[in-house]
Amino acid sequence: MEAIRNYLETMFANLPNTPEVLRAKNELWQMMEDKYNELIADGKSDNEAVGTVIAEFGNLDEISEDLGIGSFVKSKSQDSLRRNITMEEAKSYLHDSSKYAYRLALGVLLCIISPTGAIICDALDTSYIFGLLFLMGSIAAAVIMFVYSSITMHHWDFLKNELCSTDFATTNYVNDQKERYCTTYALLMTVGIILCVVSFVPAAIIDELDISFRGFDMDDMSGMLLLVIVAIGVFIIILSYSTNSSYDHLLKLNNASTVAGNYVSSQHPETKYISPTAATIMSVYWQTVTCIYLIWSFLSFGWWYTWIIWPIAGIISSVLNGAFKKH
Amino acid sequence: MNSISSDVIRGYNDTIILFLLLQHPSYGYEISKHIKTLTDEKYIIKETTLYSAFTRMEKNGYIESFSSDKEGSGKRRTYYRITDSGREYYKTKCSEWNLTKEVIENFILKEDDYGSNQELS
Repeated sequence: MEAIRNYLETMFANLPNTPEVLRAKNELWQMMEDKYNELIADGKSDNEAVGTVIAEFGNLDEISEDLGIGSFVKSKSQDSLRRNITMEEAKSYLHDSSKYAYRLALGVLLCIISPTGAIICDALDTSYIFGLLFLMGSIAAAVIMFVYSSITMHHWDFLKNELCSTDFATTNYVNDQKERYCTTYALLMTVGIILCVVSFVPAAIIDELDISFRGFDMDDMSGMLLLVIVAIGVFIIILSYSTNSSYDHLLKLNNASTVAGNYVSSQHPETKYISPTAATIMSVYWQTVTCIYLIWSFLSFGWWYTWIIWPIAGIISSVLNGAFKKH
Repeated sequence: MNSISSDVIRGYNDTIILFLLLQHPSYGYEISKHIKTLTDEKYIIKETTLYSAFTRMEKNGYIESFSSDKEGSGKRRTYYRITDSGREYYKTKCSEWNLTKEVIENFILKEDDYGSNQELS
């Protein structure tokens, strides 16, 4: 049965996503299913039944004119230029992506904790040289992580540069995987965000209680604690987000206006903006906000109030999206 | 044995389907099954051919479709029923076929005539 479904989906994959086409697919599926069930009831083996149903299916050219999709069936050759991603490739891409996500997240983690060495040195009143070495060392390690991870993903660049498509079985598989990951994703995201939000709590408590431990001032250490908690939170967020988007990436490959694309893409429609300018503004929006946040924070060193930029930016972002998005 | 030529039968797929719908409304697979059994498995209609005939005849008003769960199997199917203009069309197609048959028949040799004809040529 699965084989028949695959066959039908593949035949229809590149057709436009219109009511007529969907109805035809549905009707043909009904007939094939009935035929298959009867063949099985007659004592035929699964293989024989599938073979007979597929052999007696006919040719889509026959219905193309009735559906007003003649031009589509004829221009199929154009769409067959789309590079087909096989199940093995999809699996290997997902595997590479999860490694990539891990390295990327690790690199960011190293960047965030890089100043902690200096903080410890300061607290211990030792030479700054160790702190500096730690800073340089972790940033160098982070750069290695970034470069290495992007090099290992290099051979997947064609997914972005070329038109690709996935067949029904692969799309189905990826979608299953994504759904399975869904709970983990939600959980990890929550943990990551909570860690970032509460990161200042231990520091605030230490500050308030004015604890000193074995002679050195814990006050200095509170900054380090904050960085470590934020680093772990960000690590988790990047790891889970990046893994999740690798599923989306594969699921978005198919042309959304065809039957194959309809499988999932309609739930994640590509955002369309009213003008190229609007699209450009929106594409750099969050980067700009991050820059403003960092510049403002570093200049004022008012980290305890500069975070206000994020909720404000969030609200502005939804307003802009509402105004710029095509409906 | 020769298999049937789809070119020849194409013009009469509608007639075949209308004949079956004259008896009672039916759905895709049932029709294709009846065609198979009535022709002693000499003609097996392709699913796409059948669907194409349905859409064409529906557009022309010869048949109407409706969704129903007649067999009570819990599965809704698209059924087709013949309309009055479908009946008219069926009648014209029948007389057209009789005429065609009559005309072509003049040029078809009987099995036993084969030999004598070859000697002539």
